[in-house]
Amino acid sequence: MTTPNDPTVSDLVCARCDVPLEMGKVNASYLGQVFPVDLPRCPSCGFVYVSEELAYGRMLNVEQALEDK
Amino acid sequence: MDMPDSRLFLGETQSVCPECLKTIPARRFAEGDTVFLEKVCPDHGRFSAPVWRGLSSYLLWAEARRAEARPLLTATEVKDGCPHDCGLCPGHRQQSCCVLLEVTSRCDIACPVCFANAGRHGRDASLEEISGWLDTLAAAGGPVHIQLSGGEPTTRDDLADIVRLVRAKGFGFVQVNTNGLRIARDPNYLQGLVEAGLDCIFLQFDGVDDGVYRALRGVPLMKMKARAIANCREAGVGVVLVPTLVPGVNSRQIGAIVDFAIDNMPAVRAVHFQPVSYFGRVPHEPTDEMRITLPEVMEALVDYSKGSIGIPDFNPGSAENPFCSFSGRFFVAADRTLSADGEAPASCCGVPAGAGEDTAVAPAHQESKCCGGHTATEGSCCDANTHERKGECCGGEEQRKSGGETCCKESVEHENEPRHASCCGSAKASADVARAQRYVSGQWTRPSPSAGPSDGLEAFDAFLARRERRALGLSGMAFQDAWTLDIERLRQCHIHVVSPDNRVIPFCAFNLTDRNGRSLYRPSGG
Repeated sequence: MTTPNDPTVSDLVCARCDVPLEMGKVNASYLGQVFPVDLPRCPSCGFVYVSEELAYGRMLNVEQALEDK
Repeated sequence: MDMPDSRLFLGETQSVCPECLKTIPARRFAEGDTVFLEKVCPDHGRFSAPVWRGLSSYLLWAEARRAEARPLLTATEVKDGCPHDCGLCPGHRQQSCCVLLEVTSRCDIACPVCFANAGRHGRDASLEEISGWLDTLAAAGGPVHIQLSGGEPTTRDDLADIVRLVRAKGFGFVQVNTNGLRIARDPNYLQGLVEAGLDCIFLQFDGVDDGVYRALRGVPLMKMKARAIANCREAGVGVVLVPTLVPGVNSRQIGAIVDFAIDNMPAVRAVHFQPVSYFGRVPHEPTDEMRITLPEVMEALVDYSKGSIGIPDFNPGSAENPFCSFSGRFFVAADRTLSADGEAPASCCGVPAGAGEDTAVAPAHQESKCCGGHTATEGSCCDANTHERKGECCGGEEQRKSGGETCCKESVEHENEPRHASCCGSAKASADVARAQRYVSGQWTRPSPSAGPSDGLEAFDAFLARRERRALGLSGMAFQDAWTLDIERLRQCHIHVVSPDNRVIPFCAFNLTDRNGRSLYRPSGG
């Protein structure tokens, strides 16, 4: 899931809680569809990190597929 | 409006006289379950034609949002009024979505029904001419889809060079509209097209037996159609089956055509039904019984599904006038049952400016904003008051719903405005057209081989794979002829043709002929 330019999960720290993010199950939902996926999240506040590669890659493809008529 | 008691008045518009093509007032009305377009020419009398058989779906379609946008570039002035000033003119109300290039007027069969009036002898456009057309489209500013058409484009040995030229000029999607004979006989020719960048074969496919082809095309073609599809499967290019539906000839084969499509998935990506229109080579004035309308096609599809899908599972045209089309994407189960994909239609946000951005997900590297993002919690990120199209000229949901007032009180107010101008400032690319293009390219293109497994993101991959491999597009488009032409619809047309003199002309205007075969725009005179 990561690319050479992406930080590893252990590098990510929640700016609000100042604790390292951990991989965890997240329900990503959009336009009524729910996708259980594993993403880095803050164990304290639940804040989720989405990498740029994912946001502009598969996640965008899924969003556009849902938005299309 | 004075109407007999048995008629339900539905609206006024304009049309043309089928005899002289003069623009005349027209009105829509329902009688029983059928919607008619009626008009009276002061010189040639009254004309009436059924345009929609199914009042309940008509009222449903009438509620659809009217997507409108100013052309980014116009080439003609408003002088004689629609449909006599096409080029596009400043009165047009939608940008180009798919543009047809008629690369030849030659054809290798002589169909009794042919809107292009093609024959065995004709002329090929030169590569220089085609290059000029593409430059015109590029200058008009839109990343349009290109359909190479004719005549029969595969009569040209250099068609791959044309596909390559289209690609080289930056157009993102190119399809070839063909009867399939050449690609059935010559898989190497097809492979050359694919290697040049072809995305899709738009295959004339009227039915599943030779009786249909003998009636409509004059020759038995079924084996050749099957071979063409097999070659497309081998070459890895998507196929859209395109039946021209003619009552009494193949209108009872709608289900059989879908069956054939399912048998040939995923190479066959969609079936795009086109009820017959009467322009070009038409021997007699059409009677009501010679027409089939879009809701009848939808009903036949619902019947085929044995009720597993319904009319509400189809969507009205979202970038063109709603009454010009229907479309639906359906999943095909292992037992061949069709089901609506269960995914919400485009409602909020249209085309996202970015992705994965959301207040709930909040990627660390990007600014949060509404629209285009997933949420990690329940609900949508999008608030009903936040629409990216807000403020768009005549196109925003807030500005025009069915019959509602737009930012422009009367469309005619635009007609003498300077080119490139919009009532609300500069014209901009239509989000509706972009979305329609993305839908077409996404569904009609053969999927690439699946990517490998991705840890933790299998839910995304499974969703995308299901759409690519098990989804079948079922759609229909109603072209308008001199009897059915509704100028309100024509002004929103987004399927255009580049004429030999570099004008961009809405498809139905380009092919419009009077009852004697005289054409407004087609060089051969129809």
